[in-house]
Amino acid sequence: MTMTLQGRLLEVGPTDNTSDQRTPRKRLRLIPQAARESFVPYIPQQAVTRQGENDLTRIAPGAPRAQGTPIEVSGRVCTQTGQPVRHALLEIWNANMFGRYTHIEDHSGIQLDPNFLGLGRVTTDDEGRYTFWTISPGAYLARPDIGRYRPKHIHISLSGGSSRLITQMYFPGEENNATDPMATLMGDAFERNVGQVYETPHIDVHHGYRFDIVVGGRNATFFED
Amino acid sequence: MSANDKQNMLFPTNEDTVGPYFPIYFRDERLEDLTSIHPGLIVAPEGKHIILRGRVLDRHGDLANGVVMEFWQANAKGVYRTPAHADNPDLDPWFNGYGRLRSKAGEYSFRTIFPGSSKGRAPNITLTIFSDGINRVVTQVFFEDAEGNDTDSLLSSLSEEDKPKLIARHDGRTADGAEVYLLDIIMAGDQETPFFDDLVS
Ligand SMILES: [Fe+3]
Repeated sequence: MTMTLQGRLLEVGPTDNTSDQRTPRKRLRLIPQAARESFVPYIPQQAVTRQGENDLTRIAPGAPRAQGTPIEVSGRVCTQTGQPVRHALLEIWNANMFGRYTHIEDHSGIQLDPNFLGLGRVTTDDEGRYTFWTISPGAYLARPDIGRYRPKHIHISLSGGSSRLITQMYFPGEENNATDPMATLMGDAFERNVGQVYETPHIDVHHGYRFDIVVGGRNATFFED
Repeated sequence: MSANDKQNMLFPTNEDTVGPYFPIYFRDERLEDLTSIHPGLIVAPEGKHIILRGRVLDRHGDLANGVVMEFWQANAKGVYRTPAHADNPDLDPWFNGYGRLRSKAGEYSFRTIFPGSSKGRAPNITLTIFSDGINRVVTQVFFEDAEGNDTDSLLSSLSEEDKPKLIARHDGRTADGAEVYLLDIIMAGDQETPFFDDLVS
């Protein structure tokens, strides 16, 4: 049996209006070999992180603690062949404990916390490891019309070298995990996006979540030899 | 890569949607205009200044608001700044080729230099789009009347009907010394922009 290679047909997230409006309906096209290299961006190192930017539990070093449960999130970033993704930039954003973002376009009217911005940055070290602290986010009502909540999650954008990934870390045992449209599309693979609880020795945070990130696809390994 | 290596590959973390609230706080203006390093510096990339401008539209023809766009291109001499070309004398010390912007409404304007042709390719800019409800999608933008469009391997892989959807139209205007090119991206529907699969191919 021979199989003809085809590009993916993207799926529309169930009960998700924006997914319906924006998901390409045609099968993705295959990239001809002669054009392949031009599809591998190489993102320059961006030295933008500042002191304290990996601690989202405070607006600035020494400032008061935000409300809610302070948690640690840590892990290792690597490619599918296990090579560490070094000095990559992680941009992190999450809602406060009540489920509100400080983003100017979040019009939910949910309570803000004057001690929480929910924005952070960290770069991976020589082994591809990262650690940041934040407040455990609240689930929020994403679709008031049908009463659908987005489960607790932390947004992470990762960029560095030829690795590029925007993803979300979910929390184990959350009741809204099962009904989330994007989680539904992931199927059994959703488990890879769930942080695993660990005890942390740091007394300033309640507990930790281990979230190892594996950057997939051919782009991430294009320049590995 | 051998079949055996493939079996030992780790499972990738799932891509997930950027959601509606990509932080504008993370904006970096230096990534929205690649024609200059800093207004206070006399050094700058070589090449003709252009502005690539347009709208990102959804299935209904409405602006797909809340869009993060990333751009990747060769310098004026057609050289990409990648590890494979680290020793290339035609690298431009003032040009990385990576840009990013976040558009609130779906309209975008990216200032850069006209990319050179590389390895028989027509001048092009690789475009990555993130938006609420979808994961990353990628395509390439070409330029009206550019040399090499007729023989470009990627454009040639498309139907005659699809080719113009990736060719930015020369607006005939200049803005702040840059020639303006226009291209709308249509995420879904009859006039859908061709997108490419960089995970499978
Ligand atoms: Fe969110």
